[in-house]
Amino acid sequence: MMIEVRRPGLQTTVQDVGRRVLALGVPGGGAADLMALRLANALVGNPAGAAGLEITLAGPRLQFGAAALVALCGAPFTATLNGQPFPLERAVAVSAGATLDVGVATRGLRAVLALRGGLDVPEVFGSRSTDLRAGFGGLEGRALRRGDQLGWFLWPEVTPPGAFLSPTLRTPTGPVVTLRVLPTPEATPALLAALTRASFTVSPQADRMGVRLAEGVPAPHDPARVSLPNVPGAVQLPPDGRPILLLPDAGTHGGYPTPLVVAAVDRPALGQLRPGDRVRFRVVTLAEAHAALRARERTLRGVEEALRWWYKEP
Amino acid sequence: MSGPPTSGPPAEITPLGDAALVVRSALAPGLRADLAARPLLGVRETVPALDVLTVLYDPLGTGPEALAAALRERLAGLRSLEATPGRLHVLPVTFDGPDLGWCARQVGLGEAELVRALEEVTLTVAFLGFTPGFAFLTGLPPPLQMPRLRTPRQRVPAGSVALGGPWAGVYPRETPGGWRIVGHTAVPLFDLGRPEPVLWGPGDRVHFVAADA
Repeated sequence: MMIEVRRPGLQTTVQDVGRRVLALGVPGGGAADLMALRLANALVGNPAGAAGLEITLAGPRLQFGAAALVALCGAPFTATLNGQPFPLERAVAVSAGATLDVGVATRGLRAVLALRGGLDVPEVFGSRSTDLRAGFGGLEGRALRRGDQLGWFLWPEVTPPGAFLSPTLRTPTGPVVTLRVLPTPEATPALLAALTRASFTVSPQADRMGVRLAEGVPAPHDPARVSLPNVPGAVQLPPDGRPILLLPDAGTHGGYPTPLVVAAVDRPALGQLRPGDRVRFRVVTLAEAHAALRARERTLRGVEEALRWWYKEP
Repeated sequence: MSGPPTSGPPAEITPLGDAALVVRSALAPGLRADLAARPLLGVRETVPALDVLTVLYDPLGTGPEALAAALRERLAGLRSLEATPGRLHVLPVTFDGPDLGWCARQVGLGEAELVRALEEVTLTVAFLGFTPGFAFLTGLPPPLQMPRLRTPRQRVPAGSVALGGPWAGVYPRETPGGWRIVGHTAVPLFDLGRPEPVLWGPGDRVHFVAADA
């Protein structure tokens, strides 16, 4: 079962939920918007962690060598199937020979295309995610190119559920994004005030490793600081004071002060920041961050259970 | 709550965001081994650094207070600094790096003497990070500790053996790097074709031996 890549898009990679081998110096990887991956997988009846295609800003044109069931979730992209409008956030049956053309994101940066069965590429450290910098995982450790062929696991055909997902489930996208953050012991009162006083512009330096903000704050200088493990969503402050928000492919350890960490509930929104967006940090308590995450999880599980019920064979 | 650890100062445990705790303790390597042997519910993975263990957890599976208490209890149960002895890696190194002469002059030795001094050191893998397979090797005696380059090199060739601050290291692949390069090794540190792609792990010991013989 093959997809042929007619046009690769700006940066289209195979991603799943990532790896857990940070202790080997290997980045976590995985979809930058894990909520989009989870919803797209749920729509086509996949396990939550099945591998799909992460599409960035300008999408690919894909020709299907066999019938498939697909779903596109995440940032609002324009898309057509055989020239007809292709709906987002819904399971769509694609016939053999059909062409799916994903256009551009009107807001946000990334979407995930899930295929029923999941993409069939080898696992590396337990994950099919592409690590572009280290050059492994996914399809030969790189983004898709024209002419590539990608396989997926063929599952029995099913009738797709008719439901659309509620747009309220969509990951928030810009042009103005507020990220809930938790200060670390490295956040002095002055630094915290500087980081929360104003909004920042997302600079063009925004990739799967991190998002650099354009404006700087006075950065503490601590040459004695030793490298410590990085966590997803960490906000690093290099000497020039322009914050770097860490994404899934960030290095496993870092020596820069890390005054803030983006709350887990807002990491999908972090993965949707695009150059030019304005971002603001809002400090929350641990309890508030966890309550927001639990509320989101209840909603997601509700969606997953409803869809799982649909896919149950009678 | 359990009592303080049986040795050393009590561990400092601080939150890092809402899905990780940072444990600062000389017992960090032992704690990591203990958690690997007897996983705690809700812990996603543990990442070591020097006298630090960062514990990434699933906030839906455990809470920071309960987890911190469980970690303190584990620390208290560790038998002092008794770490499992790591493997020994003998790395053949060709000592021909662009900074070898500079480093020798820094120490006031000839190049051959510096090489001999480096061969005598038993290094230990403190933790991995930076790039897949890169190990922070500790154990350099202070005279052999070299200041980092003022401006990092844009390209350090794969296999480069280098000294930087208190550390020694070997670059698994071509990357930028700011350490003083004293030689190179042909031993692949990261090879996805192997059952264990990464050559070494925290706690392993490392000897450099001159390969020119």
